[in-house]
Amino acid sequence: MSKKVISLIIFFVIIPIGILIGATLLEDGKYNLISMFVMVFACIPFFLSFERRKPDAREVLIIAVMSAITVAGRAAFAFIPAFKPMTALVAITGFKLGPEAGFLTGAVSAVTSNILFGQGPWTPFQMFTLGILGYIAGLLGKTKWMESKISLLFYGIFSGIMYSMLMDIWTVLSLGNGFSWIVYGSKIITAIPFTITYMISNVIFLWLLTKPIGDKLERLKIKYGVMQTT
Amino acid sequence: MKSLHDFHPLVIFSYFFAVIGLTMFYMHPILLIISFTGATVTSFLLLKKSFLKSIKWLLPFMLVAAILNPLLIHEGETAILYINEQPITVEAIVYGFAASVMLIAIIFWFSAFNAVMTSDKFLYLFTKISPAVALLISLTMRLVPLFGHQIKKIMYAQRAIGMDPSSGSVWHRIKAGTRILSILISWALESAIETADSMKARGYGLKGRSTFSLFRFDRLDGFALSGIFILFIIQLLCSYFGWNEFYYYPTFSPIVWNGPMIFMTISYGILVSLPIFIEVLEAFKWRSLKSIN
Repeated sequence: MSKKVISLIIFFVIIPIGILIGATLLEDGKYNLISMFVMVFACIPFFLSFERRKPDAREVLIIAVMSAITVAGRAAFAFIPAFKPMTALVAITGFKLGPEAGFLTGAVSAVTSNILFGQGPWTPFQMFTLGILGYIAGLLGKTKWMESKISLLFYGIFSGIMYSMLMDIWTVLSLGNGFSWIVYGSKIITAIPFTITYMISNVIFLWLLTKPIGDKLERLKIKYGVMQTT
Repeated sequence: MKSLHDFHPLVIFSYFFAVIGLTMFYMHPILLIISFTGATVTSFLLLKKSFLKSIKWLLPFMLVAAILNPLLIHEGETAILYINEQPITVEAIVYGFAASVMLIAIIFWFSAFNAVMTSDKFLYLFTKISPAVALLISLTMRLVPLFGHQIKKIMYAQRAIGMDPSSGSVWHRIKAGTRILSILISWALESAIETADSMKARGYGLKGRSTFSLFRFDRLDGFALSGIFILFIIQLLCSYFGWNEFYYYPTFSPIVWNGPMIFMTISYGILVSLPIFIEVLEAFKWRSLKSIN
């Protein structure tokens, strides 16, 4: 009961106050601050619905395992910049376990890896970006599309571009001029090598891992009757 | 008196929330310098050697930001040269420099935050906001080293049957590496179910379960928290009255040392130097205690 009250307070008091302060005090383009709040608040509904549902211990553990594998994957490829299996692993979780599990795996692996490697102002952005990519993957996983290699290729490219573009919003805002399309455009152009690396790594890891990990998750779902997504 | 590390997580979080938020908000050069100095000294006091190592790349970074901004932004009155008939202005250069000072100050504050806000404190706070997600995070944090350990075990076993990922052709290595990963995931998911059942058997999710935590909110914490809160509100009010306003374009607005500005500078300075004060006091106390023994 008290949790419900707190979540209602967050929704109807803190968010409006945040936006109000944002609109009045921060009128001259303090977008870096506002955008961080927006990213944090954007994650809250997903967390709350998980909280409300009173998740089963098995569900919690499976999501934690997938997040831990994602974090370990980032650490394992730490020596190659931008070439990471994170997005692919989050997407596979989304495909097989549904949008909510996809979002949570993405967001939790972003926070956890930043606890281990250092928090920064980019943490909320990473949380939301990886989370929403997992969520989209979860929605796509409900259709039959994601079983072919071609659609995996497209999803890999799409998620690479999306990751790059969402994270570049932070890069532009950190320069302090507020948001300008020229600077954003130039950032996106300078980030092209990274974007391409994201896309290639996403596609490679999706192709390599979707079938084996997907099968294991599928088997787990059948064997223990958990996380049925229909 | 306590050291910075011994304060209640809520106090630590509120402090860094206030300071990082204000640092991101203020573009006024004097307020920027105050926050930058505070961030530098604080993270030096907390990190010592690793801080000195991390500052090497900052100077080139600041220079790049100072160059990049005037190339992209052509506002400002005082042009010093023209490239492709686009003016390069002093204002844009200074703005780029100021923005990079702000960014570095934020990075330093975050590195101090990472040093003080250890994972147990972070999780303690997160549990209050969202217990289920905090549980997810803490499980994940435990599983990462566990997987590292398990990977080693699997690797030794695989090596014994000739699937050594650290020798042989590239294709062989990839094949051996993928096998290890695959074995790890199968094992991890199966043992996750076991862990979950064991959690359930011990009463996960039941009502009336208590939790243990090391953190106690004592009088000093209350004192510190209310101090931070008051100083933060003062800063918000000052900004509400527009005392922090400073324009870089079309040309710099003058810095006037009137009452409000001095008041704001001093109160901001107190807020920013709180951790330095605490750490230095603690260091002196430690030294005097040591000399007695």
